[in-house]
Amino acid sequence: MPNITTFNIKAHYIYLPIFVVTDSHKHLEFDAILDTGAPITEFSDKALQYAGFLDKVKNDVTIKSGLQTQKYSTVILPQTKICGHKIKNLKVFVSHFEKSWGIDALIGLDFFRDYRVTIDYSKGILITEPNQS
Amino acid sequence: MKNKISWNEMKNKFPDEWLLIVDYELDENGHLLSGIIARHSVEKDEVFALPALDQSSAFKYTGESTFPGGWRAHAEHHHV
Repeated sequence: MPNITTFNIKAHYIYLPIFVVTDSHKHLEFDAILDTGAPITEFSDKALQYAGFLDKVKNDVTIKSGLQTQKYSTVILPQTKICGHKIKNLKVFVSHFEKSWGIDALIGLDFFRDYRVTIDYSKGILITEPNQS
Repeated sequence: MKNKISWNEMKNKFPDEWLLIVDYELDENGHLLSGIIARHSVEKDEVFALPALDQSSAFKYTGESTFPGGWRAHAEHHHV
């Protein structure tokens, strides 16, 4: 049974909530953008530190000219939820995000590999279901 | 601030700020409907400061995103 998730068609991107379950079973909700340009899902280092999955934010990472983020590590999130799908052990990039982005995650192509995603822009809905293979 | 307010009220009261929201309510799609503002600031670091609150929380930005996006950003990122 596919899940249906609405999004705001007036926004420049498809914004979605992404939920991270902490080791103490708290649910943290962060704003994400569905980004087919991201090879795998990325999280801001500050969000991961707050959630307890990153010991220390690296402050000496230089963001190269013209770039907005700089990936510098990976972590595995025990449990996340995207479009209503519970995902276990999601490996994500740790990145610096500019605060003006207003988001803390990019949902990347790994989600598209594991889920069939249909975007109905005219209705502002995403239809998602796990791939069978 | 201990009162539960709607997402639209949050945007009006705290323009261009980062918010940490607790006791939140979501719609069936997971989008924020309302909650209690536990922290707010134009500085993201202040909202994400440790120690973390010992409760479920939502993080929101009320301003317009400047995310560049697209393949170009990632291609440049990887120096392609």
